[in-house]
Amino acid sequence: MEKEVIQSVGFRNIKEDDNVTGFQMKIRLPYYRGIFLSQLRPGTLFVDGERFEKEEIIWNIKGEDYTYEEMKSDFHTHWAVTTPAVLKVKKEGGLAQGYHDITYGFCFTSSYMPPIVQDTLDPDSESMIFMPEFGHHVNKRRLLIV
Amino acid sequence: MYQYNRKGPKRGVALYSYSAEFGLTKTLEDCFEDVHDMGAHGIEILANTHIENYPYPTDEWVDKWFRLCDKYEVVPVEYGNWIDSHVLGCRDLTTEESYEMLARDIRLAHRLGFTVMRTKMPVISDLLEPVTNWREIIRMALPLAEKLGIQMCPEIHTPSNLKGKMVTDFVDFIKETGTKNFGLNIDFSVFRTEFGENDFKDPHFTPNRPEDIIPLLPYIYCCHAKFIHMSDEFEETTIPYKEVIQVLKDNNWDGYLLSEYEGADKYEAGYEVGQTLRKQHIMLKNYIGD
Repeated sequence: MEKEVIQSVGFRNIKEDDNVTGFQMKIRLPYYRGIFLSQLRPGTLFVDGERFEKEEIIWNIKGEDYTYEEMKSDFHTHWAVTTPAVLKVKKEGGLAQGYHDITYGFCFTSSYMPPIVQDTLDPDSESMIFMPEFGHHVNKRRLLIV
Repeated sequence: MYQYNRKGPKRGVALYSYSAEFGLTKTLEDCFEDVHDMGAHGIEILANTHIENYPYPTDEWVDKWFRLCDKYEVVPVEYGNWIDSHVLGCRDLTTEESYEMLARDIRLAHRLGFTVMRTKMPVISDLLEPVTNWREIIRMALPLAEKLGIQMCPEIHTPSNLKGKMVTDFVDFIKETGTKNFGLNIDFSVFRTEFGENDFKDPHFTPNRPEDIIPLLPYIYCCHAKFIHMSDEFEETTIPYKEVIQVLKDNNWDGYLLSEYEGADKYEAGYEVGQTLRKQHIMLKNYIGD
């Protein structure tokens, strides 16, 4: 697994029945412990400036697909720090060959942190104080599609 | 299963210390080997981090766990778990649901050979006060913990004080219930006296003196040997370690000191926390005399 949150391995277009229907990428959890899916606060994905809302992104954890709505109430499925999640996005024709600038924000709650810190969590902007063991909210990477 | 029969304070490592490296440049076995290199015999894991396929590991993984303990002469000392009552955004878990989460961890801790749990309570204020129903959740779990020989221990960590309300409430609960299955894990950050210019010092924090720990010793089932800065002469420069360990020895306290390093520098590229832990273990070995 790579140190970068957005992994270079796993970034590709998704083909269904010979049609390219979207693209996928992998992200790792930059926290020191795994989380239950309801702790996730997924944000917005930008690829070359094109915006994809959190509701448009499917998370695949341990081989199972989850929508944003499903994850909100799922406090039994656990995402481990050692296994990246696969994010799948529908986009007719997929992404073009070549470089793509990816920006993706997500964060997560922690029951042992003061409520004031929890209530102001925003996946699309950084925390007031950066704490390395919680990682950055907004991660960027430039990666190639073949 | 490997056993380490030394009495008194014993050396161990909290694998939390490896959080910047685990899963990237270090496997679980690498962490075990590093602990073994230090001559330490105790380990603390974080359930949600170090157990593959948590909270439902396979029997194969559990077999591997015991093989690692035997191979590296390591005792499973403390199982770090969280009562994540705030796990849902829309509402808190009920007492029953929180208990179910805790009971699952008690069973798993037992399955992996642990006897102590670092049970992290969900908080409701900046002073890190636990949820108001913590007594009900713990009371519900006491029979199972007793049956499986588990001691649940919240960690007492800066800015909390050993003489403060949180500790008093926990001790009152232990006295009221007479339980041996709920106790304390004291993090040595409560003894920190020295702060550098750029170090954060919580305005609510007052350091404890080493002897403040004495009345609590009957309820302390392990300690977090927190350290902030080790000098090249192998001295911790911010916490009076020599005095703290002397108090533990003088009062015949028997248990593990689990090294925990949470300095942000461990996230820097190329940082090997094992080297920092070794510096502390040279000191601990000298003071403990093992």
